[in-house]
Amino acid sequence: MIVAEPKPLDAIRQMIAPYSKVLIVGCGTCVTVCGAGGEREVSFLHDKLRLAQAKNPDSIHNYFEYTVKRQCDPEFIDLLDAKTEGVDAIISLACGIGVQAIAEHFPDIPVLPGVNTTFNGMASEYGVWDERCATCGDCCLDETGGICPITRCTKGILNGPCAGPKNGKCEVSKDMDCAWMLIYQRLERLGQMDKMRRYYPARNYQAVPRPRRIVVKSNVAAGEENA
Amino acid sequence: MHTTRIETKHYPKESKLTDHSLMPPCQAACPLHMDIREYVDLVAQGKIMEALQVIRSTNPFPSICAYVCTHACEDACRRCQVDSAVSIKAIKRFALEFGGDRMIQAEAKTTHAEKVAIVGSGPAGLACAYYLRNMGYEVTVFEAHSEIGGMLRVGIPQYRLPREVLDIEEQRLIQMGVEIRTNTRVVSLDLLFEMGYKAVFITIGAHQSLRMGIEGEESAGVIDGATFLREVNLGLKPSLGNKVAVVGGGNVAIDAARTALRLGSSDVTILYRRTRTEMPAAETEISQALEEDIRIEFLSAPVKVQRESNQLKVTCIKMELGESDEKGRRRPVPIEGSEYYATFDSVITAIGQTPQNAAEFGVRTGRGSTIQVDPQTLITNKVGVFAGGDAVTGPATVVEALAAGKRAAKRIDDYAQHRYPLDKDGVAAMDGELSSHTVEKIRKIERLEPPVTSSKKRAKDFKPVEQVYNWQSATNEARRCLRCGMGAEILFQDKCASCLTCLRVCPYDVPYVDESGTIHIPSEQCQACGICIAECPAKAIVMRKPSSYLHINDELEHAIRSFSKSEFKPSIIGFCCQYGLFGTGTLANLWRGAKAGIWIVPVLCVAKIEPGHILRAFELGAEGVFIAGCGEQCARENTNMWIGQRSAKVRKALDEIGLEQERLTIFNTGEQNGELTNKLDEFTETISRLFLASVLMQEVKR
Repeated sequence: MIVAEPKPLDAIRQMIAPYSKVLIVGCGTCVTVCGAGGEREVSFLHDKLRLAQAKNPDSIHNYFEYTVKRQCDPEFIDLLDAKTEGVDAIISLACGIGVQAIAEHFPDIPVLPGVNTTFNGMASEYGVWDERCATCGDCCLDETGGICPITRCTKGILNGPCAGPKNGKCEVSKDMDCAWMLIYQRLERLGQMDKMRRYYPARNYQAVPRPRRIVVKSNVAAGEENA
Repeated sequence: MHTTRIETKHYPKESKLTDHSLMPPCQAACPLHMDIREYVDLVAQGKIMEALQVIRSTNPFPSICAYVCTHACEDACRRCQVDSAVSIKAIKRFALEFGGDRMIQAEAKTTHAEKVAIVGSGPAGLACAYYLRNMGYEVTVFEAHSEIGGMLRVGIPQYRLPREVLDIEEQRLIQMGVEIRTNTRVVSLDLLFEMGYKAVFITIGAHQSLRMGIEGEESAGVIDGATFLREVNLGLKPSLGNKVAVVGGGNVAIDAARTALRLGSSDVTILYRRTRTEMPAAETEISQALEEDIRIEFLSAPVKVQRESNQLKVTCIKMELGESDEKGRRRPVPIEGSEYYATFDSVITAIGQTPQNAAEFGVRTGRGSTIQVDPQTLITNKVGVFAGGDAVTGPATVVEALAAGKRAAKRIDDYAQHRYPLDKDGVAAMDGELSSHTVEKIRKIERLEPPVTSSKKRAKDFKPVEQVYNWQSATNEARRCLRCGMGAEILFQDKCASCLTCLRVCPYDVPYVDESGTIHIPSEQCQACGICIAECPAKAIVMRKPSSYLHINDELEHAIRSFSKSEFKPSIIGFCCQYGLFGTGTLANLWRGAKAGIWIVPVLCVAKIEPGHILRAFELGAEGVFIAGCGEQCARENTNMWIGQRSAKVRKALDEIGLEQERLTIFNTGEQNGELTNKLDEFTETISRLFLASVLMQEVKR
């Protein structure tokens, strides 16, 4: 799941400074789950902006809020049409995808990001999120005992560990496990130590041309799409 | 471009949320279906007058119930599974005593031409009169005795129900416009119809004692329980002698025994043919009787009474318990050859009662001379004649009689208005036990029994045995309520992102995920603490009873309106837990409006305060905000931790906005009052300083 964190209030206030009627749009999927942009955070931002305005009445804005089910699908964004009348700017509390999807849908309205889209991760406990996947497009988790060195090793090296780890922790932070130590332990447990002894050649970054697109349409042979 | 295929769904605005609460087990168990959870909760908040209104709305004579109700509600209370039931009856008594249930009932307007006659002025008759009069019928109550009340007056001893209570209820009925005719025995129903009554309700009770059917029952010195109690209650003082035996195990037997004790008989023995487990009398009555040194001989029954030299020689036989009967009670079987003798001055028989001469009215009677009625319409075999109460059911409880009267009033109304008699479907009842898993996590708080007069003192007179709670005990006892059926529910499943927040934050581990990934909050386990509601990032969860949550906004608006008119500056808003605020005198400590502009927003547990509420208080002009929770005294779990987390979030926001973090603080009302006062003074000072500084800054800017 995509994990995001709220932008500092100051940054948001600077972004909206030129606009008077501002619509805050939340997203009911990933950012709801990670507590950055669901309906609750939308109204919390709304409250914060109003309070800031009350205490510092230099610039006057009108705020509205709405939360859609998922901002990365155009059908859901259609529901915003009725809400955007006279709106000068939209703050999207979705990930970068949502921000762009809304921007695409409303070519004449500036769309501003209310959160920083941070990583793809999971909840390790209530309120704690850890990065797990770098969406490299070339998954090698089968070789590394289900632990991703690209994401979880600070250096992202494929033939670890480096000389840095101490007592199983990364040299970058004492609180962070060394991914390669974890991989080692796991492979040992699985009886797959041979994978540890292998050498992995450098990755071919050319395999990741951006922007990427995936077409999943069955019964359509290549080249017949426009037929 | 694609076309829209998704319909916009309009969720109800917060303030438009409807009540989804389920009927709690106490309410379902009450024959009158009183809104017990509601009034207990109001007492816990110290809102006694409101509680009284709720009590009055469903019970015509709550002050009577406060003394003599058998409280089926407490037997059904699910707190039993945690420690012991909430003391509902005593809480009701407290509300009535402290709320001053002496209000005058306005005279009801007569809106119907039909007149109704009620034969008998027991609880069923009076309740029926009360409701019919409220509906606008002219009602006449006929009572054969000199005073109204039926069994309430002539059956129940004064130490259980003071007579003033009955007199006040009588006055209330008269004020409403009910005509009461005492010393009037109804001999002919036809005469009543001739007098212009459209319907007659027969509630003659069950005043005729059953006979034991043994040799010597007619001897002088043997008296039946109903007659004995009636004589005592109407002011006579039968001489019983010193040594008295009471035969039977029901409430009448216990009443008779305790009354005999109060009349001066020092040696009172109850003979009961089964054991204590099977005894139909109320448990507290039995234990109170035992405390008063009344002996109970179990598994023993008289078989013969002989009068010998001014005393009664009673032959008893020992019993043992045999097979179960159709009601599941084990039948007593005499043990052959176990006869023994005992001598008494008097013997009181109290083995059951039946209606007296019900057949005289020409209505069909059934088993035990009880009147037979249609269970749906409550009508007898005679047109326009209804019956209810003990006369139909045989001896039962006061609250059952009140319920019968209430129901009869509805049926008589249906009959008079030519409507089909239907009971409207009520609120769905909550069912299911608390799981052992939930029980484990609920904080245990021992039940607080209302004080009783010492057994030595009370055995000498007819003054009430049970005393009233004081304010603090009542509110604390009421806080033990688990608020069954009004907890959280995921109202907007489509909004739910299955983020598992509720499941992770619930202090009772109530929410669960099913195989399809849908989250459920089982209503019978939820403790209505409100934490998941305030934490749900999708705002998909609501209280089944939304008012307990939404009122924070109303109270906040109210406080803000008040301080905007006030000249005291700086304005400080205090969100205070309303539970326990009143009993402890904390409110007086916090509410010192004149000293600084402190305004209290009462909340039903601080766990329901959201960061948005606090920001809103600041936005609308508060210079400082404090939250006062009960801390360790809270009846719920974890509230402190959660309010700490949310405050941290708000402080961060305040910092971002450029307001000082000291403007928000948390107090614990459980602390020593002096300490709390000091802390509040300190806080007020800080806010005053910040306020002055900000005013100065504005001046400088100008």
